Amino acid sequence: MPNEAWGIGASLLRREDERHLHGRGEFVPDIKLPGTREVAFVRSPHAHARIRGINVPSDAARRVFTAADLPRIKPIRVETQAPGTKAPLWPPLATDKVRYVGDAIAACLAPTRAEAEDLAALVSVDYEVLDAVVAAPRDMRGSRHPVHDGWGDNLFSERVFESGDIDAAAGAADITIQREYRMNRQSGAPLEGRAVLAYRDWRLDEIVVYASTQTPHTLRVALGEFLGLDLRRLRVVAPDVGGGFGPKARLYPEEIVLAALALELDHPIRWVEDRTEHLLTAAHTRDHHYKITAYADREGRILGLDAEIIVDAGAYGLWPQGPYQEAAMAARNLPGPYAITNYRCRASTVATNKAPLGPYRGVGRPGACFAIERTIDEVARALGRDPVDVRELNMVRPEQMPFTTVGGMRFDNGDYPQSVRLCAQLLDLPELRTRQRQGESDGRLIGTGFASFAEQTAHGAAEFVARGAAIVPGFESCTARILPDGSLVLMVGIQSHGQGLETALAQIAHHELGIDPVRIAVRHGDTESTAFGFGTFASRSMVMSGGAVARASRLLRDKLCQIGAHLLQCEVTAVRCADGVVQGPQGSVTIAEIAKIAHLRMDGLPPGVDPLLDATATYEPGIGTGVFSYATHGAVVAVDAETGSVELLDYAVAEDCGTMVNPMIVEGQIRGGVVQGIGTALYEEIPYDDHGQPLAGTLADYLLPGAAELPAIKIGHLHTPAIATEYGMKGMGEGGAVAPPAAIANAVRDALAAIGAEVNETPITPRRVVAAIKKARERSPQVRP
Amino acid sequence: MTAIRLTINGTQIADDVPARLSLADYLREPRNLTGTHLGCEHGVCGACTILVDGEPVRSCLTLAVACDGCQVRTIEGFGSDPVMTALREAFHRRHGLQCGFCTPAMLITAHDLIRRGRAASETEIRLGLAGNICRCTGYTNIVAAIAEAAVAAAKGPPDAE
Amino acid sequence: MKAPAFDYVRPQSLGEAMALLAKSSGEARLLAGGQSLLALMNLRIAAPALLIDIARLPELAAAVDGVDRVILGAGITHAMIEDTRVPDPSRGLMPRAAASLAYRAIRNRGTIGGSLALADPAAEWPAVFAALDGEITVASPRGRRSLNCAGFSTGIYETQLAEDEILENVRIPKLSPGARWGYVKLARKSGEFANALAVAVADPARRFCRIVLGAANGPPIVLAAASQVLAEGRSDPDRLRGAVAADLDRAADRHFDDFQRHLNIVAAARALQQVTA
Repeated sequence: MPNEAWGIGASLLRREDERHLHGRGEFVPDIKLPGTREVAFVRSPHAHARIRGINVPSDAARRVFTAADLPRIKPIRVETQAPGTKAPLWPPLATDKVRYVGDAIAACLAPTRAEAEDLAALVSVDYEVLDAVVAAPRDMRGSRHPVHDGWGDNLFSERVFESGDIDAAAGAADITIQREYRMNRQSGAPLEGRAVLAYRDWRLDEIVVYASTQTPHTLRVALGEFLGLDLRRLRVVAPDVGGGFGPKARLYPEEIVLAALALELDHPIRWVEDRTEHLLTAAHTRDHHYKITAYADREGRILGLDAEIIVDAGAYGLWPQGPYQEAAMAARNLPGPYAITNYRCRASTVATNKAPLGPYRGVGRPGACFAIERTIDEVARALGRDPVDVRELNMVRPEQMPFTTVGGMRFDNGDYPQSVRLCAQLLDLPELRTRQRQGESDGRLIGTGFASFAEQTAHGAAEFVARGAAIVPGFESCTARILPDGSLVLMVGIQSHGQGLETALAQIAHHELGIDPVRIAVRHGDTESTAFGFGTFASRSMVMSGGAVARASRLLRDKLCQIGAHLLQCEVTAVRCADGVVQGPQGSVTIAEIAKIAHLRMDGLPPGVDPLLDATATYEPGIGTGVFSYATHGAVVAVDAETGSVELLDYAVAEDCGTMVNPMIVEGQIRGGVVQGIGTALYEEIPYDDHGQPLAGTLADYLLPGAAELPAIKIGHLHTPAIATEYGMKGMGEGGAVAPPAAIANAVRDALAAIGAEVNETPITPRRVVAAIKKARERSPQVRP
Repeated sequence: MTAIRLTINGTQIADDVPARLSLADYLREPRNLTGTHLGCEHGVCGACTILVDGEPVRSCLTLAVACDGCQVRTIEGFGSDPVMTALREAFHRRHGLQCGFCTPAMLITAHDLIRRGRAASETEIRLGLAGNICRCTGYTNIVAAIAEAAVAAAKGPPDAE
Repeated sequence: MKAPAFDYVRPQSLGEAMALLAKSSGEARLLAGGQSLLALMNLRIAAPALLIDIARLPELAAAVDGVDRVILGAGITHAMIEDTRVPDPSRGLMPRAAASLAYRAIRNRGTIGGSLALADPAAEWPAVFAALDGEITVASPRGRRSLNCAGFSTGIYETQLAEDEILENVRIPKLSPGARWGYVKLARKSGEFANALAVAVADPARRFCRIVLGAANGPPIVLAAASQVLAEGRSDPDRLRGAVAADLDRAADRHFDDFQRHLNIVAAARALQQVTA
């Protein structure tokens, strides 16, 4: 039996902690190579302009590189099989046109970053400034100067999803609720920005690229494609990565440029993104507009949902999946965890002169959750019913599982309504309602809001093929290698940057082999030492990579048993591998002893058995459409109606992610996700002015959630193991970030119910709250709290 | 270049530095003390927080030349300091870190809160962490770890009683 | 981003610092705590050719507890005030304001003189010292002069300091034992710059009452009408709001939008509430 303190279900303390607690982590900017030159980029100050000329100081040859100096680089091309989509080419260094503030134009090299910035300041660019496209809903059908020449309009893609009979639902409805929602543009803002260090290894004839990335293997594929290099001549290493959250799961121009420079130069080059570059140029996220019409009966049952979604995707689509997935995912998730039967949705992805949109924890889901969950509450309010009850009434029930939603999501299992009840319990809802009636002594208004969702996780090939994806990240890989002394190395294609996978994957191998986790190393993030894998994103690594580890461990276990049985002189069917030994009917042999024979004393091997204990396996879950975690989040807020400030008094999550390999890590992921969701709800925004100038370039303007403003976050678990995965695991990394904007907006709405104000836009800033209250009071001046 | 003499983690050092070199870059580059991280370089994120003459400062908003004659202490310089040891244990046990990027400065700020007796309640700890952003954990476990270490520090090591 | 290149000098005395500043013909900036200046330089918004480091000048570190006022050297840090390591003339107002200012690591380096001289419209000290009726001593090779804190700043990042002058100290009258104050900083997060900042001081024994608004799209605004309401000892909230509104009408040059105007009134009313409560 595996040790209960170490195996699946144990909150094993993390192996990763020791180095970070002593400041010995190794992030890309910590790596020093002799002779390294630092890179600073010349970037466009304009949102939209033609480049008439680039003037490089005459003495700066081989220190300033423009697109013309790096002809090997091909423009980034996103492929998609989805019909009706446009995919513009993106030159990593701008050639004829710049399309957003921060678009890279030239790379400047110097011994220090400061000197590289000095040099960049000497490069002048002659621009012909064009009108910027900044208002997606207004300009999507066309504008004076479209983002991409020759398009006519500014649409990357437009799709209509339709299921059931929306007109019949409209005819049958007792009430109709119409709302517009807006989830504004924000940044992913991991605490460590992006970073690239590249050099040429002449001995191995390869380019080595260290990058702060979530996806080293696919980054290598991209570099090979856009530089025209054999992949055998490229090695990508992601060492410690200071947070990713999605934006680091995409290819960036800087990575291509640095790798290209490594081919040109006799010394390493390094680029470390600064915070302003990050806020201006690393993948932005959210930026959804919704128009929703919900039809419901007098009980609150939603009969139909008619929606329009516009996603402002910025100037380009990031490789590999392009700009399309955000709107499509929002459209498919909009019906939420509800058994709605009639649905129509037009989802448009619009090109604007802003930084490209990319994935960020939750991707399209937080916006969709915001829209549907706010709407559910409005249905309840219109009928005078408790939003908790209306949620439950509409939810897919356990006995309906598996259930395919009107948005095309196939839920596998779980008791969704129970998550609503558990969350209400965690917040002590009856007590809150009493407190609310009594009023606060400081005059603030208390409100409670809930939001539920089901999160597609660990989706396999079927899902990505259906999306029309050019790259189908449907599997993960593991090479498990027992060394001559019986210690184990797991080499995996994912990348762990805070998720604790160095610990959790060892727990799985321990479960299968009984080897003490301290004798198990997990290697990841290096294309040299690991078989191909896609990396860490889409709440997939624990299910996918964990499954691959399980399979590879079992292959080793079979071989250990085979050799063990031979040494114990019994049938292989009579032995079992546990607690680090192969146990026979009479006596046992340790894995270490077997490992020694498999490597150093092959004369002890049974006939026909090859030396080495080395197995590579891949894994795709049994269902390609994903396994669904689900949760209900509840927020309690106090709103100061005078200042518009919103304080979070309490926050609870009732969730089900199936089997938890390491509950401590699971809860850490949930809490971290929730606080990022709180950032979306209350703090984070990158506004653009009418000229396409971004207005949040520092952390003084771009507010990240801090400890002082947050409550401790409560968590309750439900346990419905998945049927289609190893051990019943479901992915869960992103879910925490999905519901907070909706739950908090509903809580604010609840607090302001007497005033009749609602805030349907994130972040819910004091300015927006005050404006909403003012608007409500102007509408019905007699109502004052 | 300007000549400076300073003490870093107990070792006296004489060096020449350009005026514009921040203390953070000085520590990270020529001194190779890479546990001090840069997250914003404008004083907000707190990842570069270290001790100068015993007080936490932003090493991104401090010039190396201005530290001539100062005592500098980074995450690499706490040795067996009992409060830091308690904090490290508590952060580990309570899962107070994920990616690890904010961790060294978070520990140094927490160390200062405990030293100044400003870690007596959850509210006090949370206010004391206002200048240190963690993007991963949501703070709940960091706050719990600091509260635990503060209690341990108040008791002192078992053999001291 | 990294700061552009500059020269650095650390004079040993105020006199030496003044001499260096005087001959720098406007190319130099004084470096005290540097918590704003170095951030601006790291962003390459500020690019002085020379930094004159005055952080350690003994003349700027002095704190003098006088009979009816306290003199605080310009080099005194926010943290020293927060911890009351220097005499507090304000019966707790200044430590309260200091604790609300940025974060501890910033407060350990940042100085009151630096804050006043930079004159960031969102900063706390210009409003607090104006509300306390402080005076500023500035020194140059031409001599010394004294300036009222109210009115010291003349615009966004602009003050009455001449090119060759160094802010030497702030002289703050002591509040009487019966004095009361109110301090309201409305910010989205702890330590962030204020969206609205109101400081009210009522010291009947000294016949001094003043409400000042900071974060005012420019220098702090002394609210004359509202101060008058405070002096009358009334706590009628509607009357006070009316007075603040009238004061804001007189500050049309600040171009407050509806939200800012509303928030300013709320902050001032709450500061007054703290005084009269």
